[in-house]
Amino acid sequence: MKLSINKLSKTYRNGVKALDRVNLEIGTGMFGLLGPNGAGKSSLMRTIATIQSPDDGEIFFNDINVLEDNISLRKILGYLPQTFGVYPKMTADSLLNYFAMLKGVSSKKERKELIDNLLEITNLEDARWKNVSGFSGGMKQRFGIAQLLINNPKLIIVDEPTAGLDPAERQRFLNVLREVGSNSTVIFSTHIVEDVKELCNNMAIMNNGRILKQIKPTDSTKELKGKIWMKIVEKDQIDELNKNLNILSTSFNPDNSINIRIYSESKSNEGFKKVDPNLEDVYFTTLKENSK
Amino acid sequence: MLNNIFSHELSYWFKRPAFYIYVIIFFAIGLFSSGASAGLFDSVSMTVGSSRVVNSPYAIAMLFGGLSSLIIFLYPSIIGVGIYRDYKSEAHFILYSYPFTKLQYLFAKLLSGVFMVHLIILIIALGIGLGFILPGTNPDLLKSFELRPYFDVYIIYILPNLIFTGLLVFGVVTFSRNISAGFIFVLILLILQGFLVGFSEEAENRLFSALIDPFGDLALQYYTQYWTVAEQNELYIPIKGVFIYNRLIWLGVSAILFAAIYRSFSFSQNPISLSFKKKTINKIKTHNFLGIININLPKVNLDFKLSSQLKLLNKLSNIDFLYIVKSLPFVCIVLFGLLINILTLFEVGDILGTPTLPRTWRMLEAGETLTLSINICTFLYAGMLIHRSRIFKFNELIDTTPVKNWILFGAKFLAIIKMQILLLSLVLASGLIFQISQGFYDFELNLYIYELLFLSLIYFIIWAFLSFLVQTLIPNPYLGLFIMIVLLIVIPLTSLAGLEQSIYKYSQGPGYSYSDMNGYGSSVERYFIYKIYWTCLGIVFYILTLLFYYRGVVSSFRERFYLAKQRFDGLHRLTISLFTILFLSIGGYIYYENNILNIRKSSKEREVATVEWEKKYKKYEDYVQPRITSVNVNLDLFPEKRDFKASGIYLMVNKSDKAIDSLFLDHSSRISTFKFNKLNDLVLEDTIYHFDIYHFKDPILPGDTLQLTFTVKNKNNTILRNNSPVLYNGTFINNSVFPSIGYPGGELRDDKTREKYGLPPNNLKPFPSDTTALGNTYISRDSDWIDFEAIVSTSKDQIAISPGYLEREWVEEDRRYFHYKMDSKILNFYAFNSAKYLVKKDKWKNVDLEIYYHEGHDYNLDRMMKGMKYALEYCSTQFSPYQHRQLRIVEFPKILGSYAQSFPNTVPFSEGVGFIADVDDSRKGGNDYPFYITAHEVAHQWFAHQVIGADVLGATVMSESLSEYVGLKIIESVNGKNKMRKFLKKALDNYLTDRTFETKRENALMYNDGQGYIHYQKGSLVFYALSDYLGEKKLNKTISKYVNSVAFQEPPYTTTIELLSYLKEDTPDSLQYILEDMFETITLYDNKAVSASSSKLENGKYKVDFEFNVRKYRNDEKGKINFGDRKIDSISFQGSDMGKPSYSVYLEDYIDIGVFGIDQEEELELYLKKHKISAINNAVSIIVDKEPIEVGIDPYNKLIDTDSGDNRKKVKEINE
Repeated sequence: MKLSINKLSKTYRNGVKALDRVNLEIGTGMFGLLGPNGAGKSSLMRTIATIQSPDDGEIFFNDINVLEDNISLRKILGYLPQTFGVYPKMTADSLLNYFAMLKGVSSKKERKELIDNLLEITNLEDARWKNVSGFSGGMKQRFGIAQLLINNPKLIIVDEPTAGLDPAERQRFLNVLREVGSNSTVIFSTHIVEDVKELCNNMAIMNNGRILKQIKPTDSTKELKGKIWMKIVEKDQIDELNKNLNILSTSFNPDNSINIRIYSESKSNEGFKKVDPNLEDVYFTTLKENSK
Repeated sequence: MLNNIFSHELSYWFKRPAFYIYVIIFFAIGLFSSGASAGLFDSVSMTVGSSRVVNSPYAIAMLFGGLSSLIIFLYPSIIGVGIYRDYKSEAHFILYSYPFTKLQYLFAKLLSGVFMVHLIILIIALGIGLGFILPGTNPDLLKSFELRPYFDVYIIYILPNLIFTGLLVFGVVTFSRNISAGFIFVLILLILQGFLVGFSEEAENRLFSALIDPFGDLALQYYTQYWTVAEQNELYIPIKGVFIYNRLIWLGVSAILFAAIYRSFSFSQNPISLSFKKKTINKIKTHNFLGIININLPKVNLDFKLSSQLKLLNKLSNIDFLYIVKSLPFVCIVLFGLLINILTLFEVGDILGTPTLPRTWRMLEAGETLTLSINICTFLYAGMLIHRSRIFKFNELIDTTPVKNWILFGAKFLAIIKMQILLLSLVLASGLIFQISQGFYDFELNLYIYELLFLSLIYFIIWAFLSFLVQTLIPNPYLGLFIMIVLLIVIPLTSLAGLEQSIYKYSQGPGYSYSDMNGYGSSVERYFIYKIYWTCLGIVFYILTLLFYYRGVVSSFRERFYLAKQRFDGLHRLTISLFTILFLSIGGYIYYENNILNIRKSSKEREVATVEWEKKYKKYEDYVQPRITSVNVNLDLFPEKRDFKASGIYLMVNKSDKAIDSLFLDHSSRISTFKFNKLNDLVLEDTIYHFDIYHFKDPILPGDTLQLTFTVKNKNNTILRNNSPVLYNGTFINNSVFPSIGYPGGELRDDKTREKYGLPPNNLKPFPSDTTALGNTYISRDSDWIDFEAIVSTSKDQIAISPGYLEREWVEEDRRYFHYKMDSKILNFYAFNSAKYLVKKDKWKNVDLEIYYHEGHDYNLDRMMKGMKYALEYCSTQFSPYQHRQLRIVEFPKILGSYAQSFPNTVPFSEGVGFIADVDDSRKGGNDYPFYITAHEVAHQWFAHQVIGADVLGATVMSESLSEYVGLKIIESVNGKNKMRKFLKKALDNYLTDRTFETKRENALMYNDGQGYIHYQKGSLVFYALSDYLGEKKLNKTISKYVNSVAFQEPPYTTTIELLSYLKEDTPDSLQYILEDMFETITLYDNKAVSASSSKLENGKYKVDFEFNVRKYRNDEKGKINFGDRKIDSISFQGSDMGKPSYSVYLEDYIDIGVFGIDQEEELELYLKKHKISAINNAVSIIVDKEPIEVGIDPYNKLIDTDSGDNRKKVKEINE
């Protein structure tokens, strides 16, 4: 299974380049798309999910020319957008039924059996006859997963699924996603580095409509080995340090002092100690490099 | 802070394209409606000719007020949406933490909405003002510009309405957070008002309706309902009394509304649900995913076969259908539509207070009130279904499923059709329930189903096609709805701008009509041709909609256009071309048939043709012609093919003292031949106007005869055109299918239009004093009294009837022949009827009475028989003997009209006016109009067929007014005087209302120009009053003297002057003034009971003190008031509480004063006597025997009184 994206471009009417000659090759397994807000992640996801047309470029999933033959892709697609609403006054059962019909499950008996299972997996059995519009954020997200699974999708696209979930919910959600993705292609976008680190066997960093880097999380830190330095400083020193150093991230300590992490080829300043690079450092260095 | 929010709102609106669309639409509507009224389209359409000033304050009030009430459909999305938008964008979380007060926030939101509406109102005013002065408008219809009328309407009408409706919608949308809810309230208000308008048709309900009409229309109407043309042209709208109270009431309600909104609104607002069900709290908490799990889903088949796709389409449409049916706007629109439908069921067919039997066609007719509801639901839900998933942000989930566009969209389309079927079946359900509730069990289910599911449904589907296209192209469903409503209103109106052919106007075309006798006749085929034509275009729209239908995120219209172009592949190309070709070919066929095979004239062309006709041939008007003295015709009717074929012989005599060398023959465009028995040349054959001139070699000398033999038959009927008046069942045609002699008239009537074409002013008909104009009756110009004989044939199962006595009846070659011959002289005025009749027979003295009726229509035959007998009895004893030995009533289908018409010894009588009346004989019941109309028509055998006026002004007094008088007298003899008051009041109200619509001039009764409201309503009131003043016997004796001197006379014919001279002779001097008031002038009373009190006397009797005012005034032909010809003729009175004196024509009048008591819940007349009145303000004391309840001046409304409601007063009891 392989998704290949070739020179995908999209410019909005207001001049914003949402996608700028995006090239990607994605195989089976979890693929994380990491990027800050407004990087073009959602545009990319929607374009792959056939609901936004690019100005230019190609997308292939196996033999399917996605842009030409969107119906064929949709047959094997599972999509969960960043936010979604539902029609009011419709229960989880009737909505799942509705999706099952739309996705081609024409037998009533099969639909019922399928929905029984889906509700069990997502633990929504108790809410079966409740209106989905009244669901909490986590429940709605699980409902989203339930509808996604209906057609046993080969390509799964999940846009910022963990936004707005509490830590426990987030963890469980990611677990399910991993299980789902064990024998299909799962693309999920996030701006949280942790999500990717835990789940993905492949990832890309995106900003300003461009793919900045496509790497495996496991070997991503190799490049930075020995180039990340850390120091605890006082608040009023920051401005001074920022002039000369490539600061990647800052975080407060309880005593109001600040941890700063910098990228440097060599130890360039007093008081810095070498630390092991992590995925976050990769993310920030990549963004920094490309914003110049 | 108020400023900031306010200007923020404004800048929001100024950036919206919707706002500019509204502005353009309303500007155009204002511009064209005022322009059209001022004759802007005179060059392409019919000339607007009228004595009305189109920019009078009254006209501006109607136009400006009317157009601004259209905006209330926009209130939900302009005013209502102010706060709702903050919720929707979830800006309220942040906004409500800002430092402004509730009042500032509410005010700013409200004011900004109101401000935007004002801009549109301003645009309308601008459009109207400019429309009047556009180049091409007719300055004769206009007076000089004034600002005040606009300002008046704005202040007293538009602004208070805007405040009330705006607040209501604002409140509803804010609290329900649902624009549709606001829309529903607008509809409810409109329907409520519609109901009040119906309610106020009864005069006694008018004050109440005027006070509570939320829009104030009825309050304005309360004062202007009887305004004459002069008053409409000159007066400012009355800002007084009831109108002000109404405005205050609704401003008060608005204030309460605002207070309520202010009180209930808080910055932590939760929406108030409009749902009728109690909401249970919907907070559910379930556990999350249980750790790591294995996902083992059952294997299911994904099935994309065509058959299952079609099944899916149907299932999806059911889901959409259920959504519509369960949604609140739908429920409300439908409930209110049904309510109106049911109210209409009671109203349809109500004639003089008597309902028509609830036959199925009547149920279907009433069901047409649901048409608007169905259209609005179609427009609205087409938009909702298209945009629903985006509105609820559900689209990304649906749009990524592998379901094809044509299924998604097809389901929506099918859902709308299902909705339409549901609504149409409500017509069936309510019709059946109504029929059962009325105890009427003659159900015609097949008729219901045929009309609703075939004839009606296709009409709604055609609108659905356009709705979906518009709603798909327009991103906002409410804007789409608005555009569709505008299209629905404007498309039919384009005729005014000269676009007259239906093939150019979406969904337009000829309708269908049903009658029990003739079914749908030939109307259905024509109807379907046009509907198929529009369906073809509709299918093209459907495919276009599919091409532009989009899923997911599309950023610009250009992108959608690009997408559509991409999708425009072979199949789409093929179907679009196929249906475009079909559409064009059917259109071409209709165009060919109507414009090439036949000459189609636009109304403009017809107007020009009328001018040309007059210019060419009017000069022959006074050319002496021989007169027809005998008519002998053979008419063959072919009902199955709707054809006829006729031949005939006219025998003519030169009755003049001059030799006649030329004859003018006016005939129809049908296939005809003409042959005279004297040598002649056809010197002119006009194939456009069908007017021929024959020159005789030897002139026809005085006293000589001439014989014309003619044949005439119709061109073949086609699906689109009826070239013959013959029906499948129920043919009713008159002698106009045969040729006539001489110039027949038919000229433009409006003087201003005539002037434009260089024609001299039209003197209408000559005055009765013009003794040179009395040579013709007003019924025919080419004959006096004739001998008549006819052989009529028809299909074997039908009976054919014409005036005369049946000489012989036989069957030949499967056709039935009837030979009729009249044994006495009749007017040259006859008709032929043919249908499958049943016959009821009876006898009055030696006269054979017959009623030819449609099977099943036997409900009121006895009443009609009774009507014939009573009228024959009354007229023959009071006036003169009946001239025939036979009298027949012949039913004809209501599609030809709802009236009856009297021909010699034969009365064709529409099935719509009597045969199916549901008469209630109890005291509360309405009038027995089958009886009454029969009496009126029978009276015509005297007043028209014995006495016939010359073709001058006032001629109809001798036919219609006198027949109406006889009808009234006969019904009075059956019902008693009490029931008459209702009848007279109705006649008075109709007279006063109808004269306000006069566009030319209203003359006094004796000079009337044939207007129904004068010769029927006023005529009947006048003769009824006269019989009261002179006594019925005495009046009838006078009429009888007159009848006997003029009946069957040869020219010169009688006039109103002669009739009046008889009346004058027999009227005492003291009452001569009545004749002047009633016949010679337009005189109106304004009588009013001021106060009434009573005290019990020692002898047990009661003394009643009564103060009342009597005033009368005159109107000229435009309705301008005067108080007599000379200043000295008028009198005046100024009471202590009056700011201005009131004036009256000089009074020496005798007017009824009545005192009424009560006896077993029935009114008891204690006193009724004519008092001589010579002052405006009067007081009398009257002693009566029993306890008085009510006193009145002219209490029975015998006089023509502009306010008939204030003539009576309840008596106040005073204990001494």
